[in-house]
Amino acid sequence: MIEALQAMASVVLDPYLILLILITTILGVIIGVLPGLGATTGAALLLPFTLTMEPVHAIAVLATIYVSATFAGSITAILINTPGTSAAAATTFDGYPLAQRGEAGRALGIAVVSSTIGGVFSVIVLCVAAPLLARVAYEFRPPEYFALTLFGLSMLATISSGGTVRNLIGGVFGVWLATIGAEPTTGIERFMFGNYELYEGLAFVPVFIGLFAISELLVQSKRINEIVDTIGMKAVKLPTRADYKKIWKTVLRSCGIGTFIGVLPAEGATVASMIGYAEARRWSKNKEEFGKGAVEGIAGAEAANNAATGGAMVPTMVLGIPGSGTTAVILVGLMVHGLRPGPYLFTEQVDTVYQIFGAMLLANLMFMAMGLYAAKLFARISLVPLQILWPIVFALAVIGAYALSSSLLDVWIVLIFGVVGFLARRHGFAVAPIAVGLILGEMVETNFQNSLKMFEGDWWLIATQPLAALFLVFAFLGLFGPVILKQILGKR
Amino acid sequence: MRYLVIPGIIAVLSVSVIVAALQLELSPAMIVGDSMQPRAFPIILMVISLTLTVLLALQYHNDPPEKVPWEGSKTWGSVALFLIFYPITVYIDMFIAIAAVMFVMCLMWGERRLLVAGAVAIVTPVSIFFLFDIVLRVRFPRGLLTNWYYG
Repeated sequence: MIEALQAMASVVLDPYLILLILITTILGVIIGVLPGLGATTGAALLLPFTLTMEPVHAIAVLATIYVSATFAGSITAILINTPGTSAAAATTFDGYPLAQRGEAGRALGIAVVSSTIGGVFSVIVLCVAAPLLARVAYEFRPPEYFALTLFGLSMLATISSGGTVRNLIGGVFGVWLATIGAEPTTGIERFMFGNYELYEGLAFVPVFIGLFAISELLVQSKRINEIVDTIGMKAVKLPTRADYKKIWKTVLRSCGIGTFIGVLPAEGATVASMIGYAEARRWSKNKEEFGKGAVEGIAGAEAANNAATGGAMVPTMVLGIPGSGTTAVILVGLMVHGLRPGPYLFTEQVDTVYQIFGAMLLANLMFMAMGLYAAKLFARISLVPLQILWPIVFALAVIGAYALSSSLLDVWIVLIFGVVGFLARRHGFAVAPIAVGLILGEMVETNFQNSLKMFEGDWWLIATQPLAALFLVFAFLGLFGPVILKQILGKR
Repeated sequence: MRYLVIPGIIAVLSVSVIVAALQLELSPAMIVGDSMQPRAFPIILMVISLTLTVLLALQYHNDPPEKVPWEGSKTWGSVALFLIFYPITVYIDMFIAIAAVMFVMCLMWGERRLLVAGAVAIVTPVSIFFLFDIVLRVRFPRGLLTNWYYG
């Protein structure tokens, strides 16, 4: 434990890392306030720039983008009623009405403080929970991993707004994409159609850049003429004692909710903020104020979405199962930099792991300073013309994808998946399930094959393993729980 | 019947994958052992996909999705630019292709100032090129400009 704390503390002794976190926090906040660019797109675009960095620095950059962009979405949510990221959607419900009443500074102050508390709380939970979970995960064999990945895939049902069936179709498509290339055990080529650059499978990063950045570019092209009303603000105001008295219970509750939701595979900050907001309303004595500028509403949503960031890192680092779209990119970042996500990360690379946690903690404190002192400036950045912003994103996407493995094929993959992602979104399918499916695809297949070998072909014996059975029950509940619950509540 | 279009497309794609999977080589039994043939997993996936597609069709039958409005020239024009990007990259130069796409995209999306569009289209790829070339030491594909730069 002392070694872990020392590793975390070593972050503040590394001036290069501090500078990197500072620059990335500014970049993360800018990404968060720019329309359409969220933490996932930002992390995917920045991943190629981390290629020559030390693994700790690279992952710290990606994690910092994650936490700072998640927070920054609240700035535009409050000032222009447009969430910079989907995780800040619930913040608009009360943030914008409060700003309209001339209290934009107060609304932003509450958002900044709640986000910081949520973020710091979740990093502390991450530091404690991740090694404990890693100890349990050491015992996992192929059947347990297979059942766990199935659980992760089942959680795709609720990952985003796409709707259960459409999300699952997206997830299955993602898993199928993972079968492209040489089959790991036999080496037999699958769906390569003579292209040997695909022998090792589709590279994750170009697919992610296409799905998230290029598809968003095409979505944004429809919004080019939208007019936004910006609310003026003098300065961000820290919450008063009366505000703290009003929100402290909500913040604590949302910290717990956000961290728990984040830990669930494939769930993320958006779901956390919605539940955080709903629970803040449910427990409030002033329910009638919600939707009209309730400070508890802002605190509930903001504490929860930032608490989800640390929570989502737990399954990502300990089990190799992404806790959200952005952690899927971070997971790829870990792999690109030679770090093997999973329980062994906590024995083989303890220092690295805790330095990453330390960097996340520092990033949470830095975005607090940014939010308090520069929110007004960042809000202006959100007004950058889309016709300038998105062509720049195009250049970053294309060059970044090429740079990863110096392959033009990766550039075509970016463009193809950009159009595929756009067409999917056009018809109500979310792209995050495809990305998560792609990451989990190989894990599912390999662990299923190894389980078959273990049980001499008797696949049903997987369910006889206690932990695997538990995960399979979770997977069943993940898929059918909402339907069963609806039936029960309907009968009542 | 409009609601059947999307499930229909997914079903056709799923069946195509099954057909393609059935063409895959079979691995000798001694290598596969108690595990499964490489074609089995994709086929299982596509059977799941077809089942989900039936559910989606039923869902759409009960609650038809709203008609998706046709996007304007900005969206489809951008897709067309991606198509033009390919031959320019392959036959001329990747950075000329990026600059050309950026410039046209800026104008297509509503930028009226030619100078601004031109500056964005030139400054951005040049800056990113030097960042990757000098700091990250990435070599870009040979083309008109890169041949001149690399010598």
